[in-house]
Amino acid sequence: MREFHEYNPITVAAYYLCATAVTMFTMNPVVIGISLFASVINYILYAKNGIKPHLFSLVLFVIMAAVNPLINHNGMTVLFYLNDRPITAEAAIYGVTAAGMTVAALYWLRLFTKAMTSDKLLYLFGRLSPKISLILSMAIRYTELLRIRWRKISDAQKALGLYDDGNLIDALKGRARVLSILITWALENGIITAESMDARGYGTGRRTSFRLFRFRMRDGLITAICAAATAIAVIGLNGADVVWYPSIKTTLFEPVSIMGYVGFGVLSILPIIINTKEAIRWRYLSCAN
Amino acid sequence: MTVIKNRAVRTVLRYAIPFGAIPALVILGATVFDEKRYLIISFGVALAAIVLFMAGIEKKNIGSRRMVLVAVMTALAVIGRFIPLFKPITAICVMAAIYLGAESGFLCGALSVLISNIYFGQGPWTPFQMLGFGMIGLIAGYLCEPLKKSRALLIGYGVLAGIAYSMIMDVWTVLWYNGTFSPDLYLAAIISALPFTALYAVSNAGFLILLKKPIGDKLERIKQKYGV
Repeated sequence: MREFHEYNPITVAAYYLCATAVTMFTMNPVVIGISLFASVINYILYAKNGIKPHLFSLVLFVIMAAVNPLINHNGMTVLFYLNDRPITAEAAIYGVTAAGMTVAALYWLRLFTKAMTSDKLLYLFGRLSPKISLILSMAIRYTELLRIRWRKISDAQKALGLYDDGNLIDALKGRARVLSILITWALENGIITAESMDARGYGTGRRTSFRLFRFRMRDGLITAICAAATAIAVIGLNGADVVWYPSIKTTLFEPVSIMGYVGFGVLSILPIIINTKEAIRWRYLSCAN
Repeated sequence: MTVIKNRAVRTVLRYAIPFGAIPALVILGATVFDEKRYLIISFGVALAAIVLFMAGIEKKNIGSRRMVLVAVMTALAVIGRFIPLFKPITAICVMAAIYLGAESGFLCGALSVLISNIYFGQGPWTPFQMLGFGMIGLIAGYLCEPLKKSRALLIGYGVLAGIAYSMIMDVWTVLWYNGTFSPDLYLAAIISALPFTALYAVSNAGFLILLKKPIGDKLERIKQKYGV
């Protein structure tokens, strides 16, 4: 059983970047509808984060959809007047589309963030530049280490009786002292780390990676499907244009653009297809035993 | 392991990106897409600039001590981003830039954004933020002598960096929302971001003064002690 997020990081990153890019760079209501729907379903299924992100997205959607008609007064169909300024249907529809695009892109990127854990990011960056990847991995490590040390130092300070939380000035002074100790410790320790690295021959050979990701056949297959679907979507959607102002004119439903929608539709539900297939296989195999 | 392990390929990339990819992106954006999608162009250029810079650093011999110190400063900046409201990230990047060199400043800014966005959420804004903080660090590194000497200049740089960063990010907000640039929306974005701009400017200046002693002096001392 190999879930979509367990595929090679290159494949997963490429997939999410394609989905996000197509969403972000079109202002095509149909594509944005598909994208919003698919990304929300994906998010609910594979990034179980509770209701909070959805509420945030909803608020963002409403605000962004409302901003455009309030600022932009182009368009022929006047709905009503607000402070003697016309509120037009065209601007309102544009606002809803733009807001949908933003929220859909946000959902795709949340999925990306969820899938690309720090070890996968390191794997990707390590291919670009070993040095940057080393600094990146050390910085990620130090982030956690410094937090632990902060707690250790402040515990020690408390035990010495130097840390009074009741008094604001004292508390701030205490924090400043902890910070100062932390920085000295981290910098001196960093030098020791560097010496130790040099002593063990850093930079004399090639660097290996902590987690091994093999690029298998199926990774290549999925990457190819993803690239093909994106290409079909881009080619198909090139002709599908919307002229927003002064009145909405669209060429949204030409045969070519419908091909583009199908391409993008396949792209956006690819993780669902893969995961469902794997789940069915899992059940089938466990029944067979 | 690495795709770009070949030195020749890396060299080709180093010339291909500035002379091939960036002009191609700009031309493509201007001709192929009917409604000029500035967003795509700016996104591509930001990404290419970061890759280019990182390829440059890859070639340089920075030394393991400096690398570790940059990693420590980056981690401090990442932790600083968890402080509510007042963010010392700019101040820490500027400190790294002044005392460890311009490239270190760039790396500290760009990488701390990349890492902290693992917690705060990656997005299309990531390359722009990386470039923004990276540039703040890089420019501070070029101005390191005057910034080291004068406290007033340091405050000025912090305030200016906060305002400039906020205004540049507003351009990006407008581009993302609207596809093309619109002065009305830009004004609205600037006004709605005004409290944040003020907060950036104040916290930058404040942290630069506050952190000069604990971070700046210690970096100076470490440099003298170990000859980084």
